[in-house]
Amino acid sequence: MEALSDEMIMQKVAEGNLDLLKVLFDRHHKHVYNFLFKMTGDRMLSEDLTQDVFYKLIKYRSSYNMGSFKSWLFTIARNSLKTHFTRHHKTFEDIEVLAYQSVEDAHDMTENNAHLQNALNRLPPEDRELILLNRYQEIRYDDLAEMMGSSPGAIKTKVCRILKKLKEIYLETI
Amino acid sequence: MENEHVLDLIPEYLDGSLDKETMKDIQRHLEKCPQCQQETKEMEALLKAFKSDVVPVPSERLRSRFEEALEAEKASMGKVVPLPLEKKNRNWASSVLKIAASIALLVASFQMGSVFQQKKINQELAQLKDENLDMKQTAMLSLMENQSASKRIQGVAYIDEFENPDESIIQALANRLLNDENDNVRLTAFEALSKYTSSETVKNVFIEALEKEKNPSIQVAIIQTLVQIQEKKAAEPMKKLLEKEDTQPFIKEQIKAVLPSLT
Ligand SMILES: [Zn+2]
Repeated sequence: MEALSDEMIMQKVAEGNLDLLKVLFDRHHKHVYNFLFKMTGDRMLSEDLTQDVFYKLIKYRSSYNMGSFKSWLFTIARNSLKTHFTRHHKTFEDIEVLAYQSVEDAHDMTENNAHLQNALNRLPPEDRELILLNRYQEIRYDDLAEMMGSSPGAIKTKVCRILKKLKEIYLETI
Repeated sequence: MENEHVLDLIPEYLDGSLDKETMKDIQRHLEKCPQCQQETKEMEALLKAFKSDVVPVPSERLRSRFEEALEAEKASMGKVVPLPLEKKNRNWASSVLKIAASIALLVASFQMGSVFQQKKINQELAQLKDENLDMKQTAMLSLMENQSASKRIQGVAYIDEFENPDESIIQALANRLLNDENDNVRLTAFEALSKYTSSETVKNVFIEALEKEKNPSIQVAIIQTLVQIQEKKAAEPMKKLLEKEDTQPFIKEQIKAVLPSLT
């Protein structure tokens, strides 16, 4: 199974081989969790939302459209995050505050960890999200463009601009 | 390029994701430009921090909950009666479904993209509050139109996702109950609709279905539900069924037993 791409596996899942979802879970659940944790700073919430993402993969398996699996997965993750905050009548500003506070409290982080997370938290959530997807999840510019409803060129420029801003914040605080 | 600053290309330069020619150009520029050198050094420090960042690990609970959900889904799949139609049309049907679903997903991701770009996030969020539901609804409606009967059943079963299904969902389910050629689809549509018997539309659909339905198991189910909700308008179509020659004897018995309670 190692050799099969995510896309080929998901295609088989969509056709009814549900057990193969375990392979995709193994490959990706930590990444989804990491993305959500870095967006919210809340471990329990991130676990619940990760659970929700994979639950949706099970449910909506037949609507997989053969595109990049990772983009699809993170589109679902972003959707779950947004739905959660909508349901709780919070805005993205609240995400920012929440993340900032709880990550400050985290004791099990290395110094570098904390510096980087603090710098990330000072980005507007929509910028932070883009950087997390591009740097941690290694989602390519054209896939990001598809996810964000933008063009690869525009996304590339945006990522570069945010990285510069983040770098300033990061070096200021170190 | 040799004499122009390369600030905007530095992240990609450090990623090594540029073509050879551009990489060389940047190197040549860096050799003689302290400003870009400084920028490169700083950016390298940031990118290194990303690489050495420790990723938090979720608890094992996550895996066990996922496996539970997966087993539950597999168990519920087993309940669907295998349908011969599925195999014949699979390829064609699945590609049509894919097109429909990819449109649904595209719409959803486009909306999300634009939301994240807006400043007036609150306002946007209020507008898109039901987006997730929209996505489900689109998926449900497109599944119900699928060539494959088991996909249509899957579509009908999505009803569980909706607390308050709107009129278009009810109509689509009604359409399945009244017009689907497959018995299992009609039965599933009936079961889905029977949760909403307080709706006038649903009551009327049941009465109409009782006049059209030829499958005895579905006839029985409809009769029982109409009696349960004491729908007086059901008496007429029931009497008609009594008069019809092709009505199964046990259906006639059933009607004779319940008719007095409606009249
Ligand atoms: Zn320069």
